[in-house]
Amino acid sequence: MRIGIPHCGNAYVIAEALVQKLGNGKNQLIIPPPTSHRTLDLGVKYSPVEACLPFKLTLGNLIEACELGADTLIHARGTGVCRLGYYVKEQEQIIRDLGYDAHFFTLDVSQNRVKSIMRLIKELANDAPWSKIISALSFAMGKLFALDEMDKVIHKVRAVELEKGRANQIHREAVKAISEAQTVREVKNTAKEYIKKLGQIPKDPTADPVKVGIVGEVFVVLDPFANMDIEMELGKLGVEVERTLSLSRWVKYRLFLNYLGVDEWEEVHKAALPYLRRNVGGDGWESVGEKVVYARDGYDGVVHLAPFTCMPEIVAQNIMPSTEEDIPVLTVLYDEQMAKPGMITRLEAFVDLLKFRRKQRRT
Amino acid sequence: MLRVGIPRALSYYQYFPAWRVFFEALGAETVVSPPTNKAIFAAGNSRAVAETCLPVKLFFGHVISLVNKCDYMFIPALRSLGRKAYYCSKFIGLPDMTKALVPECPPILGPEIDLNKGRRELYHAIYHLGRHFSSDKNKIKKAVEQAEKAYLAYRKEMSDRGITPIQALDETHRDEDKSYLEPDASLGLSIAVIGHQYVIYDDYVNHRLISRLRDMGVRVFTPEMAEQQALDVAMTKLAGAPHWSFEADIVGAGEYYLEGKVDGIISVAVFGCGPDSMMIDMVRHRAREFRTPFLHLSLDEHTSEGGLLTRLEAFLDMVKRRRRVCV
Repeated sequence: MRIGIPHCGNAYVIAEALVQKLGNGKNQLIIPPPTSHRTLDLGVKYSPVEACLPFKLTLGNLIEACELGADTLIHARGTGVCRLGYYVKEQEQIIRDLGYDAHFFTLDVSQNRVKSIMRLIKELANDAPWSKIISALSFAMGKLFALDEMDKVIHKVRAVELEKGRANQIHREAVKAISEAQTVREVKNTAKEYIKKLGQIPKDPTADPVKVGIVGEVFVVLDPFANMDIEMELGKLGVEVERTLSLSRWVKYRLFLNYLGVDEWEEVHKAALPYLRRNVGGDGWESVGEKVVYARDGYDGVVHLAPFTCMPEIVAQNIMPSTEEDIPVLTVLYDEQMAKPGMITRLEAFVDLLKFRRKQRRT
Repeated sequence: MLRVGIPRALSYYQYFPAWRVFFEALGAETVVSPPTNKAIFAAGNSRAVAETCLPVKLFFGHVISLVNKCDYMFIPALRSLGRKAYYCSKFIGLPDMTKALVPECPPILGPEIDLNKGRRELYHAIYHLGRHFSSDKNKIKKAVEQAEKAYLAYRKEMSDRGITPIQALDETHRDEDKSYLEPDASLGLSIAVIGHQYVIYDDYVNHRLISRLRDMGVRVFTPEMAEQQALDVAMTKLAGAPHWSFEADIVGAGEYYLEGKVDGIISVAVFGCGPDSMMIDMVRHRAREFRTPFLHLSLDEHTSEGGLLTRLEAFLDMVKRRRRVCV
């Protein structure tokens, strides 16, 4: 089997690390090239016009994986209400029409369903013993956690660095060093070293960054290509960014803590209850709850990301303005027509508004 | 007598007969909003965010038109009506969205309908709903039974007589235009119109599509004119187990009428409809295999009647010519 995967942020790191540790056997992993404009063009060309951006991007990834000879394609599926549940049916047909002989392997990513994930890992491992698989897994997790930890730090540093772009440069080096690391210990040490370096970046003593929380649909929140590096752009504008969603958090809870009865979203759902009483699929419920939580925690604003026509997020978008905990929300909708300068202009206006509000509140 | 407001939008077309019987059996009166008009659209459009799809915007407009005319507003949160088959997020969030966007709305009766959790949970939700009107458990139970019967009778009447929900719901339309039922339809074209009920039967949204087609001498088939079971079978054949609760009405009806050798298929969807963006493509793909002409109309609040008409005429001309050449 030659297994092709779609991209979503740094998810490929897990796959890459697994292969690095387990080696290639009769089952091979094919990681398509990083999402590019070609990927998007391919996806747009073969998708239904009104499909959402994650559909188009992942389809593009899968086509590129097929071009590299993949015969088994992985796709996520949740028992949710959003289109994600229909992706496989539709993408399977499109790939078949393009003349590729590939079948789909569905990963169930809902809470308390890890059977399909475990099966995939076992397949990828070419029947290696579980002990070896577990050590490979912990290596892969180590990398993922290191990268996400680095993200958390850089979100703060970017906003206050004296020389703009310094943090990004160190971050790029760090990502490279982590991906080259060979052992768990090495990964940990590299991460520690680079986090220290990030901390030593000269800071602007007069900086007084506004704090913004990022909420929204998981794919566009996690994938920098899909969201046009919005976190970096906010950082350039001197905004400190906070985001709850991350892959490492997802892995931590889905694979482990959910089974111990810990629900990572409990507080957020509770906060959403007065405004939205139930899960509406996708991440709509969480978006509403997180807005409330960020407002309570004294954040200056919330940036809400969603693919254009995303149903759960439209529910959230309709409800968010009327919550009692009142902070400004900027909803940014992504599709293939979106241009980056337009997004930046809107971000600048939003940040100006937040700064103005803060000044008013202080006087 | 307590009055329960029912917006003439979204699931109204599918379940109203059941709701009416249920509330009347419990001694309440149902008040239905008028058919969609410009004022209703304007009211709904002014409240919802722009990205919301047209039918949901209209829903808020209908709710606004019922404010002060009823004591309760009935807005169920429809999650699932089958195993692992779901409604669109906007249906599930409907009561909460209404609360947020129409603060003047009377108390909302918003039971969560989720068959996935089992019948027990469903009865529990309905019982809680009935408690607003009666504390008599047996009375509520009887009302549910009557409602179920009414729904099945309504569904059967449409498939038996080949009529649309509008004709089945409204006495004045009941007997109009029976020409398409005549066995000799060799002169006219047969066209299947597939889409959500709240799109193909709301004349404000589709600019009187069905009556226009009939005026042009077309014999129109809609999903409700087929038996539910036949639609389910066709859907499973084309797309496997459903992901959406209304998949049979779109994918199932598409496959059913393609197999039934209609002259053409017109699919009608509103812009921004998530489920339709995927499902319609399944049918389009299938129509290509059958070599049946397929027209997709994507409607929104900016759709002009003239443009729609031109496309319809062009499509029908094409179908007619094709039939002449093929025969």
